[in-house]
Amino acid sequence: MRLFLYLLPRLAAMIVTLLGVSILVFLSLRMIPGGYADILLGPFVTPAAREAISQRYGLDQPMALQYLRWLGALLQGDFGVSMVTRQPVIDEFIRRAPVTLELALIALGLALSVGLPLGVWSGIRQGGRRGVDMARLVGALGASVPDFVLGSVLIFVFSVWSLWFRVGGYVPFGQDPVGNLQTMLLPALTLSLFGIALVLRTTRDAVLRVMTEGYITAAVARGERPRDIVRLHILRNAAIPVVTVVTTYFGFLLGGAVVVEVLFSVPGFGLYIFNGLLNRDYAIVQAGVLLAATAFVAINMLADFLYAVIDPRVGASE
Amino acid sequence: MRTLLDWLARIWRTDFLSAFGLAMLGLLIFLGIFGQWLPLGDPTRIAAGPRLGAPSLAFPFGTDELGRSFLPRVVQGIRATFLLSAIAVLISACIGTVLGMAAGYFGKFTDIAVARGADILFAFPALLVGLLVAAVAGPGQFSAISVISIATLPLLIRVVRSVTLSVAGRGFVIAARVAGASWLRILAVHILPNVMGAVVVQLTYALSIGMIIESALSFLGLGVQLPDASLGSLLRQGSAYLTIAPWMVLSSGAVLSLAIMSVNLVGDAVRDMLEPLKGRALT
Repeated sequence: MRLFLYLLPRLAAMIVTLLGVSILVFLSLRMIPGGYADILLGPFVTPAAREAISQRYGLDQPMALQYLRWLGALLQGDFGVSMVTRQPVIDEFIRRAPVTLELALIALGLALSVGLPLGVWSGIRQGGRRGVDMARLVGALGASVPDFVLGSVLIFVFSVWSLWFRVGGYVPFGQDPVGNLQTMLLPALTLSLFGIALVLRTTRDAVLRVMTEGYITAAVARGERPRDIVRLHILRNAAIPVVTVVTTYFGFLLGGAVVVEVLFSVPGFGLYIFNGLLNRDYAIVQAGVLLAATAFVAINMLADFLYAVIDPRVGASE
Repeated sequence: MRTLLDWLARIWRTDFLSAFGLAMLGLLIFLGIFGQWLPLGDPTRIAAGPRLGAPSLAFPFGTDELGRSFLPRVVQGIRATFLLSAIAVLISACIGTVLGMAAGYFGKFTDIAVARGADILFAFPALLVGLLVAAVAGPGQFSAISVISIATLPLLIRVVRSVTLSVAGRGFVIAARVAGASWLRILAVHILPNVMGAVVVQLTYALSIGMIIESALSFLGLGVQLPDASLGSLLRQGSAYLTIAPWMVLSSGAVLSLAIMSVNLVGDAVRDMLEPLKGRALT
């Protein structure tokens, strides 16, 4: 019940946010110079053909009505048709979903398994100068080397000395698991560097903040073992900001890491949307932005849920 | 001035990373502003050296496919990357401060509208906004600036709003209101100075985000267009010759990473100075 009352207003806010997102996306694509008929029919369009297209897609109707119809279609899963293939774009997104999901999960796993321990360690041992400087340096490096720079360097290194990895040439996991990992690990590694830095910095800051609390002093005074203090008092109380950035990061990854997918030719969301833009196939860009924003908002909802699970005080007053 | 010097001296002694960041940022800004008058070579002169020549004394960063010296190109790129990101971030700082203060101070409907708007903007992944803006407005510097502004605006709004909320209930603000000060005066004289610290801290982070977005957009060919140089467009240029002339990607990538890192390190130092967090070690 507490959880329900806590989540209900957030659910309402989420719906408002998604409506706002859809309005912005709708308006932005209506602002493309030339309009839909010209994009579809090219420069040699006759007035009659333009008229026909306008009528067929309802472009001659009031904007608000157009929006409502478009929204109604969206809610029924109709995200528009690719101008190049004449297929519904949503089918292509569904086909590519496992690729982007796999990439996101590997990157997230790497970020957590490296960032969390390092962050906790450097937060607790703040007295040790060298360790702190190392953690700060890793954090600063990870937050500063853009993914396409790291990716380019990795491509250079591994296309000169192949070692075990492969650059490009994606194969589905079901077909050839080893070959799949050979191609996916490098892009995932590229994406995870930023995540590692993000998790490390946030964890360190959160741990530092928790360490100033009275109950830590009390626990030390009671003579509890440092290991227990970390496990029982610090980790749980430091978890909330970490959950915030990790879910934000995951939402960003799900939106399709455009640059990394383009760089490594990983056939996920990002590459599809980017190619859609290059082909002036705007239905793809529109659907991609909408899907990414929806995924992001849904993940944030999940974060709100996790807050309430981690910290019983959350939502208690509502 | 005196305190600033003291601060610099203390940082140099106690905090090597921040000092490194400050020095690096100073050097890069110097290069960005004055680099065009330094004797580094002509960035536009074709066939100044061999095509795709390896780094040498005459061409420290090598030459590109047209035989142009790459070092002055990189210096041009530093200027463009810093300038575009700084303009964009300043725009979003101005808008974000006004909106955030309004939301925090007036509350009620204003607050709901602004906070929801920030949420909506925040839901868009920056690069996808970049693709959308490129679709609508065409690629170019204008697109890059608007994308960076859109991406960093929600961060500034949120911070300013939360600081304003905590300040608005304090005694001096209530006293000012009781004394009959107008809302404009209260916001400008009493709240703005208290918000500025948080804005400055957020600005440095926004600047580093802006530089990443700018270079990523230019790398994808959606921001600064060749032959104009930004660090991202140089990377794009170099990535076509990655395996035979890696110095183009390596040099512009290294300079870009250093630039972003110096901004981040300075941001950390500024934050530690403005928002000191006193903690103690467990052991």
